[in-house]
Amino acid sequence: MSEGLTRREAMGHAARGLAAIGLGVTAFHLIRKADGQIVWQLDHGRCVNSRLGAVGVNTCNLCTSECVVAQSAVRAVNDFSKCGRCYICPAYYNVTSAVDESGLPSEKLCPRDAITRTMIGDADPEDPANNFYEYVIDETKCDGCGKCVMGCKEPAGLGSIRLAVRHDLCVDCNRCAIAMACPDDAFTQASVEEAFERLETKGGT
Amino acid sequence: MSQIVVPTLGHRLQSIPRSWQRLTALCIAAPAGLIVLACIGMLTWSYATARIRAPHDEQHVLELQEKARTDAAFASELADEQAMQTEFRQQRAAKDARITLMLLLASTAFVASMKWLVSLRDRFVPLQSQFVQLRLPPRAPAAAGSRSSALRRPESGEVSAIDLSHVDRIVAEIGRSAEAAIPILQAIQSIYRYLPDDALHRVCELTEITPAQIAGTSSFYKQLRRTPIGEHFVRVCHGTACHVAGARQVTDELRRHLEIPEGADTDTQQRFTLDEVACLGCCSLAPVLMIDEHTSGRLTSLSAYDALQTFLTEQAS
Amino acid sequence: MIAAWRFTALVITILLSTTLWTSSAFGQPAPYDRPVDAAPQAKNIGGGYITPEVQKPLPRSYWLEVLDVALLAAAMILVSWLVLRRRNRAWLLLVTIASLAYFGFYREGCVCPIGSIQNVVVALTDPEYSIPIFVTAIFFLPLFMALFVGRAFCGGVCPLGAIQELVLLKPVRVPRRLDRTLGLLKYVYLALAIWYAAQPIADRDFVICRFDPFVSIFRRTGFAHMIGIGIGLLALSMFVGRPYCRYLCPYGELLSWCTRFASRGVTITPDKEIDCGLCADACPYGAIEKNRAVRKSCLYCARCYASCPRTGPMVPTVRSEAAASPDGGRS
Repeated sequence: MSEGLTRREAMGHAARGLAAIGLGVTAFHLIRKADGQIVWQLDHGRCVNSRLGAVGVNTCNLCTSECVVAQSAVRAVNDFSKCGRCYICPAYYNVTSAVDESGLPSEKLCPRDAITRTMIGDADPEDPANNFYEYVIDETKCDGCGKCVMGCKEPAGLGSIRLAVRHDLCVDCNRCAIAMACPDDAFTQASVEEAFERLETKGGT
Repeated sequence: MSQIVVPTLGHRLQSIPRSWQRLTALCIAAPAGLIVLACIGMLTWSYATARIRAPHDEQHVLELQEKARTDAAFASELADEQAMQTEFRQQRAAKDARITLMLLLASTAFVASMKWLVSLRDRFVPLQSQFVQLRLPPRAPAAAGSRSSALRRPESGEVSAIDLSHVDRIVAEIGRSAEAAIPILQAIQSIYRYLPDDALHRVCELTEITPAQIAGTSSFYKQLRRTPIGEHFVRVCHGTACHVAGARQVTDELRRHLEIPEGADTDTQQRFTLDEVACLGCCSLAPVLMIDEHTSGRLTSLSAYDALQTFLTEQAS
Repeated sequence: MIAAWRFTALVITILLSTTLWTSSAFGQPAPYDRPVDAAPQAKNIGGGYITPEVQKPLPRSYWLEVLDVALLAAAMILVSWLVLRRRNRAWLLLVTIASLAYFGFYREGCVCPIGSIQNVVVALTDPEYSIPIFVTAIFFLPLFMALFVGRAFCGGVCPLGAIQELVLLKPVRVPRRLDRTLGLLKYVYLALAIWYAAQPIADRDFVICRFDPFVSIFRRTGFAHMIGIGIGLLALSMFVGRPYCRYLCPYGELLSWCTRFASRGVTITPDKEIDCGLCADACPYGAIEKNRAVRKSCLYCARCYASCPRTGPMVPTVRSEAAASPDGGRS
């Protein structure tokens, strides 16, 4: 075989071989370093809305405004196991607004009216203040503006509402626009398992 | 296999007249183009209105919030306003999604029909119409299937190579000396159209001419040929003008079409003999070729073979 | 930590109580204090209440990503077979449309090999960064293919190329000098992309993705100016063959370097060709010079084969038409 090669062909083979080896070595190096599947996740322990400022102070809504998806892929999520099910929920009501006849704040906090409030459990209609209420976020309306996160956080609430990436809506941009804009680098890439772990626990700071 | 698949829609739909195809394509392209423009317009409008509306809406909500803070009566108004804005946003998103889908479909239809329209024009002008036929009346339209029939081998009027009585007669007329070699060979060629080996052997037997002399003479003069000649003699001009205008390509193309073997000048069915000549004297028609006494000029590699075909059609009629 | 929260709580309580003191009871904010200290659980709530799950939408399955890589490899092999062996443009077009539909509109053009340049650069420079195997695979597969069979990826797999390829109506010949000069932009773009990707994490930016002109078209959403640029570029590519691929695509530049070592490529077969130059006319990318294919700029569209009177399917069509009408069908 080799005696049939011209010098030109031999050099071509050599160059190709060298290039293939070079690419292969780099690829191998990267694969050794590589992780399985990576998704964008929001570390809510670092999210400005969960962490800083007082109730009613200007909310960081970069998750809403920066995401390339029309209605942001970030949504507010209520962790029901931590929800206080309050009579006057600081994430549902604007607690600084005027009180109406029934003694509840007149203004709702969500600008898109995405939270619904239902009475649950053994309800006593005579004494509404001592009942439990469930707050469910309508994901078709929510766009992750973070106002409710701001309202629910400690010490006003228990901090059960947090922002989370909806992985079925997230288009997994190579360069996540929110991550670029996030002031506290709360947006990071993580493996799927880690992302869900973060979602269920309180998250590190 | 590649000849089955035809690349463009225009050629695949040959049975439908081109004017109809063009009309159909236009009928799709025009409304699709209008829809595309309308969709882009609507999307721009929707974007612009939303952009203009957004600060105003925000301001309105802020004002209401300010009022609601002190007066609970404004709370319901604020709630209504927020609900309305949410409704508007969701409606806009849904509407935009529909328009975008329509835009995609319409632009697909537009691009496809425009491609159809473009493919209806000839990629290159069929070059047969460009070459010139001299000394011939205008060509009559040939039937579509005529090409294969036109190239069938015609009835042979050739003198049988085995009939050597002609050689005996020629030798008797011209003489048996060595000086008679050229006239004898010329006479033989005028009868057989080439120098059959049998005839040359016969000449050697009858005359004083040696086989070496015959071999030398017949290979020296270009007018003498030892191999059988085709029915038609095609001379492709390779003069300077023709050479520059692509005579090489014309010759190659003819050789390929006639399937003339390497090193030979006549096709296996002996229909055509191809010769490269120095000049035919009509450089203005370059590249040019002569088929027997008929001249065809301004050829290209694509039209050269058509020239032969036309010639045969003329002959047959 | 706890002290900080207590301090904040104190501040808020003081603020709230100040507002309370200065107002009468009705028509003013309600007295607000955190109603509960701990979350009530289902057993305290009663009434058969069951605590709902946290909303937890699943991402795409890992196996679907593996499928993506497999499809990418299969599509590239198919394209190189169709172009180099079959020399068939009709089937290539079908593959192109399928790639556009899947990698473009269904997978929404991300992560693509073009953008993965940046991931690879970051992975090489930043030891903290972990790159998914999927991204590594889609970066290296087309390069390996280019080493052996040339830019099959560009031909019918890349969705960015495919969308430009399919809208091309009537290519205008770009003057050779302008073509070469604009081609230098690719190097600038590649250098910028590498530079910005190699920055420390705070300054890092993925320029290629930020200015990807077609991804917002594939997603049918995005920033208005990028959609505008995308539509503009598409309108341009109706008349200039694949402007993004030829003048901007940094990955195309890497691929064209790989094709310098390629053992195969699109060839204008010398022993069969007739120097008619139809292929050079048909090539919208200026990749045929002196009737020979230039490998590094050939984008595997197979137009040259489709237009060739020797190998292409054009011959019988034109001939029979010419024979059927005396004016040779010049209309």
